[in-house]
Order: sequence, then C-alpha cells, then structure tokens
Amino acid sequence: MTILMRRLLALVLVCAATMAPAQESADIQSILQENRALIEASSRRTIGPAIDALRESGLDRAPEVMRRWQERELYLREADGVFVFGEETDDGLRVIDIATGEVIGEGPDDGYEEMRPNAGIRGLIQAAMVQFRLQDENAAQRARALDAVARSPEPEHLDLLRTVILDEPDPALRARMERLERLLTVQFGQSDAERVAAIEGFRGDIAREVRAALTPVLATRRTVAPEDAPAEGNVARELEPGTDALPEAEAYQMLVSAGLAPERIDREARRAALVANIEDGEVGGIPVAELDDQEMRDRAYATLAQAGAVPPTTLEEDRADLMGGYAFRDIHIEPSAEVTDAAAATMESIELTLRLHQWLDLGLDALSLASIYFLAAIGLAITFGVMGVINMAHGEFIMLGAFTGWLVQLVVPNYTISIVVALPLAFVVAFAAGVALERLVIRHLYHRPLETLLATFGISIAIQQIVKNVFGSQAKPLTAPDWLAGSWVVNDIVSISFIRIAIFGLALVFLGLLLFILNRTRLGLEVRAVTQNPRMAASMGINPDRINMLTFGLGSGIAGIAGVAIGLFAQVTSELGQNYIVQSFMTVVVGGVGNIWGTLAGATLIGLLQKGIESANPSNTLAAQTYMILFVILFIQFRPRGIVALRGRAAEA
Amino acid sequence: MAQGFRERSFFARNPHVLIFLACLGVFTLAATLMSEAMGTGALSTSFTKILGQTLCLCLVAIAMDLVWGFCGILSLGHFAFFGLGGYMIGMWLMYERTRLIVEPSLAGAALPPTPQEISDAIAGQIFGVVGTSELPLVWSFAGSLPIQLALVVLVPGLLALVFGWLAFRSRVTGVYLSILTQAMTLALALYLFQNESGLRGNNGLSGLQNIPHAGGVSQAWISLWFLWGSALALALGYLLAAWIVSGKFGSVIRGIRDDETRVRFLGYPVEVYKLFVFTLTAVIAGIAGALYYPQAGIINPAELAPIASIYLAVWVAIGGRGRIWGAVLGAAAVSLVSNWFTGGGAPDIRLPGYTISWVNWWQVLLGLGFVLITIFAPKGLAGLVDLITQRRVPDRHGADAGPDQSALREAEEGR
Amino acid sequence: MKALAVSTTALAIGLASGAMAQDEGADCPVKVGVLHSLSGTMAISETTLKDTMEMLIEQQNEAGGLLGCEIEAVVVDPASDWPTFAARARDLLTQDEVDVIFGAWTSASRKAVLPVLEELNGLMFYPVQYEGEESSKNVFYTGAAPNQQAIPAADYMMNELGVERFALLGTDYVYPRTTNRILEAYLKDNGIAEEDIFVNYTPFGHSDWSTIVSDVVAMGATGQQVGVISTINGDANVGFYTELAAQGVDAFDLPVIAFSVGEEELSGLDTSNLVGHLAAWNYFQSADTEINDEWVAQWKDRMGDDAVTNDPMEAHYIGFNMWVNAVEEAGTTDVDAVREAMWGQEFPNLTGGTAVMNTNHHLSKPVLIGEITEDGQFDILEQTEEVPGDAWTDFLPESEVLTSDWQELECGMYNTETETCVQIQSNY
Repeated sequence: MTILMRRLLALVLVCAATMAPAQESADIQSILQENRALIEASSRRTIGPAIDALRESGLDRAPEVMRRWQERELYLREADGVFVFGEETDDGLRVIDIATGEVIGEGPDDGYEEMRPNAGIRGLIQAAMVQFRLQDENAAQRARALDAVARSPEPEHLDLLRTVILDEPDPALRARMERLERLLTVQFGQSDAERVAAIEGFRGDIAREVRAALTPVLATRRTVAPEDAPAEGNVARELEPGTDALPEAEAYQMLVSAGLAPERIDREARRAALVANIEDGEVGGIPVAELDDQEMRDRAYATLAQAGAVPPTTLEEDRADLMGGYAFRDIHIEPSAEVTDAAAATMESIELTLRLHQWLDLGLDALSLASIYFLAAIGLAITFGVMGVINMAHGEFIMLGAFTGWLVQLVVPNYTISIVVALPLAFVVAFAAGVALERLVIRHLYHRPLETLLATFGISIAIQQIVKNVFGSQAKPLTAPDWLAGSWVVNDIVSISFIRIAIFGLALVFLGLLLFILNRTRLGLEVRAVTQNPRMAASMGINPDRINMLTFGLGSGIAGIAGVAIGLFAQVTSELGQNYIVQSFMTVVVGGVGNIWGTLAGATLIGLLQKGIESANPSNTLAAQTYMILFVILFIQFRPRGIVALRGRAAEA
Repeated sequence: MAQGFRERSFFARNPHVLIFLACLGVFTLAATLMSEAMGTGALSTSFTKILGQTLCLCLVAIAMDLVWGFCGILSLGHFAFFGLGGYMIGMWLMYERTRLIVEPSLAGAALPPTPQEISDAIAGQIFGVVGTSELPLVWSFAGSLPIQLALVVLVPGLLALVFGWLAFRSRVTGVYLSILTQAMTLALALYLFQNESGLRGNNGLSGLQNIPHAGGVSQAWISLWFLWGSALALALGYLLAAWIVSGKFGSVIRGIRDDETRVRFLGYPVEVYKLFVFTLTAVIAGIAGALYYPQAGIINPAELAPIASIYLAVWVAIGGRGRIWGAVLGAAAVSLVSNWFTGGGAPDIRLPGYTISWVNWWQVLLGLGFVLITIFAPKGLAGLVDLITQRRVPDRHGADAGPDQSALREAEEGR
Repeated sequence: MKALAVSTTALAIGLASGAMAQDEGADCPVKVGVLHSLSGTMAISETTLKDTMEMLIEQQNEAGGLLGCEIEAVVVDPASDWPTFAARARDLLTQDEVDVIFGAWTSASRKAVLPVLEELNGLMFYPVQYEGEESSKNVFYTGAAPNQQAIPAADYMMNELGVERFALLGTDYVYPRTTNRILEAYLKDNGIAEEDIFVNYTPFGHSDWSTIVSDVVAMGATGQQVGVISTINGDANVGFYTELAAQGVDAFDLPVIAFSVGEEELSGLDTSNLVGHLAAWNYFQSADTEINDEWVAQWKDRMGDDAVTNDPMEAHYIGFNMWVNAVEEAGTTDVDAVREAMWGQEFPNLTGGTAVMNTNHHLSKPVLIGEITEDGQFDILEQTEEVPGDAWTDFLPESEVLTSDWQELECGMYNTETETCVQIQSNY
C-alpha cells in the first residue's frame, strides 16, 4: 500500500516536472501509432526504430512516454487502437491520456492491453532516456541515467556526460560522473593520448567496471598468414601450433578454413569413403566382411588412395611442415598499439591485487562455512566430546530449532522481533527435547555407547518423520530481518552477506560462553567432575543424574540456536539436520574429542579444506565434499585423537 | 578345551543350522509352487521379487551380525559393500544388454563394425543420458561376465581390506570406528553421485532386471531364478557363518568383542582377526548386493547413503545380535513388515481431524520401536524366542548375545 | 503369504474412487492407473497430479464416462522410490489390469517404469518436462522436450536480453546434465565461445551458494551481459535466490531463467528475491484465455483458494483428454489401437492454440517465457507458436542423426544416416 502511494507521489512530481504543452500532443500518439507493430511485437531485436523515433522526435512528451512504457504503464485501448497510460488501482485501471496527462477514465482493465517490454527492451529504453535524464532536475533521475550508462555504455554517452558534468551540483553524483567519463573515454575517447591517460588512471583498480571497460579494448581475433609476409595490424601475440593456446588440430583447422590446406580426412570420413567405394562386396581388394578392424580399413583406404579413387590422407609430418610455413597471430581489434599496450599494462597491474582479493573472498567464505560447521557441531562437542554420548538425533535438534524459528515468524510478523524471540525459544525447545531424550533413553544406555548410537538414531528418524508429517515436506522460509539482508561489500571482489557475518558472530559468542561455563562456573566444574569420574563426583556430593541432564540439555539447546542461524541462510526442511550430522561428528572427531578448542580447530580445518578444494574445481561441488571426507578419514588414521589431543588422565575419560 | 565338542558333528553342535536350512527349503518350495511362473499366481511377480530381495537382505544381515554381533565392530559401512557388489554386476548387465542391442543395429551398416565402433556405440547408449559418450576406465571389463563376477567379490573385499587395515592399525575402536565407517560410506555415496565417477552419477544403473541372453524368459521366471539363487546364497552364507563362529576362531572373535585388550595380551593378533572378519563380511555383503539389485532393477548412489547401513544395524539389533538366525529373523521381519506398511498394506486410522496414514507414520513407529527394543530387549526378537522356549543360552563360548561388554565404561577405566 | 501379496495391492482398492464394483470380465469399468508418489520426497509435487487426475476422471464421468463405462481411478503410491515405481507399475498392469497409466515425475522413475511397460505392453502418459533422448512405444510424453523449453529459453536470453556469457547451473542429476549438454552445444553453435559458458552442478538441497554466485557475478568482468540458465531443483532454489539478492544483483544485472521453478514451487515462498527473474514453461496459470480461467476456477473450487495450477497439470489435462478422444475414436481401450488413434490427436491448450500428438509420441505445444511477480505468479512476456517436441535433439552429434516415428518407421530410435532402426525397445 505505502509503496503504491510513494510511487504515485513520485509520479505526480515527475509529471509536474515534465508536463508538456498541449499543442504537440497529437504527434506523440502518431509516432506511437507508426511504430505500433514494433511496440506490440515487443522484441529487443526489432524495437530499435521505435525507440529511436521517440528519442529523436524532440517532443516534450517523449521522455514521459518512454518512462511509462518502461514501467509497464503504457496500454493499448483495444476498441480504437489508441495508446494510453494506465495505472493499476485496486479495482482496475486508471486510464490517462498520453498527450495531456489527464485522467480520462477509471474502471476494470478489460479492453486495455498492457505493453510488456521485457528486460532487454527496458534496458534499451533506459539507455535512450539517458539524454533526457542526465539533464533532469531530480537527482534520482540523474543517478538512474548514470546506472544506465554504466550498464550499457555507448559512444554518444561520452559527449553527453561531458556537457553535464560541470553543472552537476551533487558531489557524489559528480564523482560518479567523472569516473564514468573516464571509463567511457577508455573505450570511446577521441584521441589515443586521451584514452591512454584514462587507461593509466585505472592502474591497480580492481573494480569490475574497470575490467569490463578494459577487456573489450584488448579483444583479439586469430589470424593466419604466410610466415614471410609482414604482420598486419596490432599484433597481440604470436602463437606456436601445438601449444596450449593453439592446439595443433585447431591450427590445422584454421589453415583448412583459410583454404590453405586440404581437409583433414578423419576416421569417420575415411569410413564414408570406403562405404562409397564398395564394389562387388570388396573395397580396394579387401572383402567387406574383413573390414571390422581399423588396420584393415586403413589398408583398404590406402589401396583406394593409390588407385586415385579417394584423396590421400595427410601425414603427421606433412601437416607439421605445412603449418610451419605459416604464422599464427592474435591481432588486436583495436588498431592503436599504444592503447592496447597501456590497457595490457593496467590489466597486469590489476591482476595481482585481483588474485589477492579473490583469495581473501574465498577465505571469508571458508571462515563463514567454518563458523556454520562450528555452530552445528558445538552442541555435539559437549554431548559427544565432553559426555561421550553419541547422539545421532543431534541434527534433529538443529532442525527443531529452525522450525521453531519458522513457527515464531508465522506468529510474529516483524522479522527483527521474531528472531529475537526465536533464538531463546529455539534454545528452550531443543533443551527440553534434549532433557527428555536424556531422561527417557540415554540414561538407560550410559554404559552401552554403541547402543546409544542406534537408539538415538531411532529417535532421529522418528522426529524427522513426525515433523515431515505435521509440517509437510516443502521447504519453509525463515526470513532474515532487513538489516541482515544485504552484504558487507569491501569492493567488487570481496563481499560477504550480513547473515554470514551474524552467524560468525554467533559462533564466537557461543565459543566464549561455553568456555566460560565449562571453565569458570560451578556447573562447568561439576560437569568435568562427573565426566571424569562419576562415582567420585557423586561421593563429593554432586548429583551426576542432574549434571548429565543439564549438560545434555545445554548441548542440545545450542543445537537449537544453531538451527535458527542455519535456517536463516539455507532452507528449513525436515532433512536439514541430517545434512549436518555426519559433518558435525567429523568436525568433533577431527578437532579432538572433549575439547571446545578442538572443535573450533576441526571446523576451521574442514571449512578451509572444503572451500579450497571447491575453488580448485568450481564446477563440481560434490567433489569437494567427497575429497574432504576422504581427507578426514585419512587424517584420523594418522591422528586418531584429533588435532587438539588431550593427554594424560583427561584423555581416558 | 573345545576337544569335547569336536567329537560331535558340526550339525549336532549347532542344531539351529539344520532347522534354519529346513525352514529355508520349505519356504523356497512354497514360494516356488505359489509363484506366477508355476501358473498358480498366488504370489505376484513383484512380490516374488520382494521375497528374493528379502533373502539377500538376510544374507547381508548375517554379514553384519558376524562383524558386529560376534566381533563387536559396529560397522556402518556394510551396505556400501552391498551396493558396490550391485554396481559391479550391474555394469555387466547394462553393458551386455546394450551390446546385444547395438551389435545387430551396427551389423546392418555398410561396413562391419570395428571393436572401437561397438564400444563407442555402447558408451553412447549407456552414458548418453548423463552427458558423455565415452566409456570410462572403470567399465574396461564390463564386457566380461567372469571378470565382473570376480569384481563383485574383489572390489568390496579390497576396499574393506584397505580401510580395515588403516583403521585397525591405528587402533580406532568403538564409536570412533563406527563414525569412520559412516564417513567412508558417505564419501563413497558422494563419489558415486558425481558424474565423473563414470557410473552414471545420480541415475545409477537401471534396467537390471532384464537379463541379457534371457530375452525370451518372462520376468515371472526370472524372478523365480533369482529367488532360488538368493536362497542358495543365503543357505551357504548361513553355513559359512555358523561354521566360522562355532570353532576356535569364533571363540577368539567373541573374545575380541568382549575384551580386546585381554585377547591381545593372550598373544592373538587381534588386528588380523578383525581385518579378516571385516573383509570376509564385506565380500558376503557384496555377493548379497549382486543378487539383490538385478531383482530390484535399479541401483543408484542413494542406496549407499549412510542411513541404509544404519538400517542394517537396526535389523540385526531387532532380530538379536550374536545369533545368526537372529539376524536373519530381524532382516526378514523388518523388511517385510516395512514393505507391508509402506506399500499401503496397513489400513489407515481415521481419528477425528487427522488420518494416520501408515505410509507416512511407519517410520515413526519403526524409530520408536527400535528405541524400545534397544532399551528393554537388547537381545531383540531372539530374546523373545528365548522367553518362549525358556531356553537359556549355554555359556560355552562366553556370552553369546546381548550388549557388547567391551564398551563398558568401567572396563575402559580399568585400563 | 497370499495375504501379504494381496495386501500390497490393497492400497489400490482402498483408494479407488468409491466405485468398488469389480469388473465382470467385460471392459467396464475403464480403469485408469495413477502412478504418482503420495509419500516421500516427491509427494509434494506429485500429489497435485494425483488430484488433477481424480478431478479429470470425475469430470469425464459426469460427462458420460467413456465407451458407456464409468472410469475408475486406480491410485497407487510408489513412495518416491524408484524400484517401487517399477513394482507398482507391474501390479497395475498385471493385477488391476488398468487400461492406461498416468504417472511418474522424475526421469529416474520413468526409466524404472519403462521396461515394465514395454514388457507388458502397457500405456503411460508422462507429464513432466524432461531431457529428451528417448521415445518409447509405450509412453506418450506430454511434458516439454528440451527444444520446447531449454532452446527457446536460450534464444530468449541471447536475443531479448542480449546475454553473451552464460552460467548453466544445475542440480546434479540426469535432467540438468543432459539439458546443459544440449544447451552447451546449442550455445556454441550460436557463436558463444567455450570460455563464456560456465557449468556447475550442485547436490540436491544445496545451501552454500555464496562462492558459486560470486563466480557467476565475476563473469561480468568482461563487460558482457551475463545470464543464468538454471536447472536447479527444488529446495536449493531458496538459498540460490536469497544469495543472489544478498550479493545485491537483481534480475536486470543478472537475469536467471529457470526450468524447474513453477507456480507450485513458488507458493509458500517469499518471492521478493525472485521478482523479475524468468521461467520457461509450456503453461502458466496467468495465461489469459477463457478455458484457462475456467480450469483454474474449477481447480480452486476443488482444492481451495490457495491452490495453484502448473505446467505438469496442463500436460495431464491435455494427455487425458487426448486419450479419451483416442479411445472413443478407436472404440476400444486396447493399447495398440489407442496408440494408433493417438497419433495426430488434437486438443486445445489452456494457453491458446492447439496441441498435437506427433508420431514420435511428443506433443506440439507453445513455449512461454514468464517473469516472476510478487504474488508468486508469472507475467507472460513471450509465447511462441506450437513447437513440435523433438525426441532426439538436433544439437548433439550422436543424436542429431536419430529420429523417432512410430507410424511410418515403427521405430523410436531410427538412424537416418544408416537408415536402420537402432532399437525398438528402449534402453533404460
């Protein structure tokens, strides 16, 4: 509702600014009518003339029409084929005359056909509107014009920019204009000197738009010419056939397509030739039935070639000789060597910084992944690591936490408040579930760890299926509040979403909290006492039952909070926990059982490793997971007690 | 010490072997007579297949019981070996079937095909759906039945040998070993999920029920053949397992289960024993898988997911660990009941406002039931049989059944 | 034992639509098998198709049934398990003796059912967009083949959005694999260089999208327009679009065209991150025709106001009506007679125009490109003429020589170069 109001308000303002004198009004309709077929066809490939006609009409209403068209407010009245503006209202359409801007009707939208320019056409319209918008009084409009320029730069934009740049009152916009002007100069500047200066100005600038401006300057085409002929054009590099840059087959194919060498006769072609030369069940004197072997086929072909029935095959050496007589070059499409040299130098200066930033970005991703694994595993570090209880249902506690978050969002529509409510509630829910599990099941199995594993697995499938039956198997949205929505953008390369930062923070908080509880509180002391020697602890007046229950609840409760965090960036499904359980166990085992620091080390190692492998092979995410697990298996063979291995008596517990 | 028992025959000492073999024989005969192939049609072909599959599951359960119930290694990776066996036989089935389609079609061409052309055409058919048309290296022997049959045994066996050697050598035991085997299963499943593994990724191998060279035979008969084959394999597997656990070897592995350290101090090479049992059971699992998947028709990496191996442990635990017939009982009962529930056999319960559909709620029942059995009936269904027959397990070789004592915390503290 | 055998099929009887009258040996009632998962992971998608079939059958019964008989739906639940699909299909054909099956969703489930259908000469209608490279004598494919979805979508990206660099992102299974392979070949034919195509596969339910999205965004560093063709399936889409939004790229900077995101997937999602992105289907609920309005109204009437219609539902709508007409034409439900009557069947699309069943068992249907709107619907930007579905794509070297024609050539995989029938039965 408010968005609509605001839009209307903006509209009125813009209308007022661009209100046109009435006498020209007849013409704008006729321009549209002339191009009606194009506008209705609504294809980027054919729309050009229609946009040009509007832009070059010089009519005051043209910008308004283009804006409205672009915003899908241009309608065709089916009854008489007249174009009108339309604004959607609650009960239909408010129809506005395109020439006068007056409301000429309101009601249901039957009989009006909406023009639906696709994103490609909208881009073209925006580019065409640059000339109007750059001179607009409204700063927002000018900013939009600059966006359009940045998106699809065109030669004429350069002059436009240069004319308005000096009059720009807004310093931020002006800076943006100046930068854009330099970017455009790189590509469309008049003189080479001007372009070289602009290019050199971008040394070390890793912004995407800089690279986007430089790359076209460095575009090349591949040519082949006799070796002794002088090189034509602005040579980028000489190529040697048989290298990675130019494989032999490709080089030879270039000669073939240039008509400089005979077509290479491959196996398939030879086969076809043999088939074409079958005579009386024989080819080249060899019976067809014997041609089920490549060697026989080659021999038959050779016989045919000798007889002159088919062209002879070229030999490897002949081809190499032939290629040796030609020079293969990449030629810059840009004729000026000065410009391309400068661009190449600038690109090179960017390269190293770029690589560094890419590593930095990968490092951030890895840290983020590590913090997610840590958060998922930290509860387990307590129940498994400290208490020695294998809880296969740990993943389900994470899932319960995530569902709690989703349920809270159903009740509390404000995302910020709902997250604030959901975090403690998820803890409570998972804590309760954990205590119940401990009291009802695990308590009976303290001396049978393998059976704890199986029993908690039973619990795990039961919880998972119950949640699926009750809430359905479709993924549930757990939406982050707006202040967590965007990313922290350092530059075009290095950025990380706020949610991930928040998860990272949460992980740190829990690390600190747990260390505090275990090392600095009475509860922590009792927990350590009970895990190290329950009978001794009991004789010191500690109630082991109570401590076990509380510890288990604490570990489970943290899993619940982890669930809310994970749900915020992934999807909430009943299988959510299952996806983390094996990884979590590995995190704890790799890090070293019985130690929170170990879990931190394990999570960091696994996160770094996974991202590292992933970046080595970006098209296959599964491979990273596979090799990561293999690594973990091998790692445990050689360090069975994990990274941070406890020594002495503590290790026995 | 075992001298006194040696004088009696193996069957006399293990009456359950004969009883089991008799039951299996009667079952197979009955299933045969009632099958669609025999014309009575009391058992549909798809149900005959399910029975055959169940027998294979019983076989892998025996393997699981050997390694867990008798040797105390809770392996969460035996279903992976089972799946590997299936993959190995599946490769031949797919290759051969495709070859029989491709060869006549190529024979119609103007030139007789070269071996390379045949192999390319087969690869194009098999891998067309996953975006390649080259035969991966792992398919090198797919054209040869004897080699693939050998691989059914060798691949799971070697994997188990290498993995077991690494794990037992570093003295990884107890729950750590379980987690490690689970990681191995997950890694294997993830690896197979990748297209690069050359086993058709997520798609897996399909159409395995169509046996090459048996085009004229109806599925009714094929299902019966496999039922017989599975029954035979189960009988042999049972005999082998019973023979292994009844001798001195059996006593040693039970000793390892109950207290590994003591057995080691007695001078037995504990690692070798464990490695042997681990590898042998992996081989048995592989064979069971090779019989199972031609009946199921499809194998894909999801079959190898860690959860499948946990289910295997669940069957054995429900049946009763440490007794071979317990494992068989558990696997047969749970998989058939499971089939009945998920197949919609159980009537829905209509409560006011909600209908309990067993297709969806069966998992809950299974999960909770399993928890109850673990807590209250550690001996599983076999314990029930004990209750009825009032039979007490003679304590000849240490405890036969029940929770494994090696994991007792106090025992560990005592070290 | 017998009790068990019977009980496995008890569901069929239990769920059958009221009419419990067993057949008296004659053709009545006409039985229609519905083989869609009602439990397990695929239930969410497939259950609506079961409801669709029940609604269509009810409507047909109200209109007088078929050949003077009532139509009876035999609903079974293959529980999202592929071997179970094969087993249930066998039960449907041998025990329930259904005349036709409407079912399957994933390619894997279809491939599981194929051998059973071909062995027992059954007839199945498969309603979901798929990767092609298949034409079975016993299956009619009413969903889109790649040339009816992927190729027009790529054309749209290139021509209408000026995309010059492509990221093909998919979930790792057969449909994205084959589709992307076809797309890669097609894009290269259209002058897109190899280095301008980025292909990535992620596992089902993937959630860690930040690196992949960064990689895709970084493709824009050459100054060319980048576009994503997404075959990402199911839940993973949530994380993917969220990450796109978090990295501040909108549909204008980086348009995404998806093949697996429809009305059903969007319902219950927060669509704010998806607005402006695209999808290609043969049907959108927002199609502005009278029959579609009526169809949507009937569906909402039956399923509630929140229910949405989608592409596979239309495929069943067309498939079922074609089958009914073919049966009436043939005067019998005999599979071979009906199959022959199916060739050339015409039926109006819900989106306008007429669908035609070709002799390669694929439909001719229009292709629609739509932009996602805030209410989880699609704004239709482009609608092509009817495109005949191509069983064997023309863009891969090994299948370009293949064709399928069950009428003239009596072959589903015919090599036009050697003029031989490669195989009559499918390879699965």
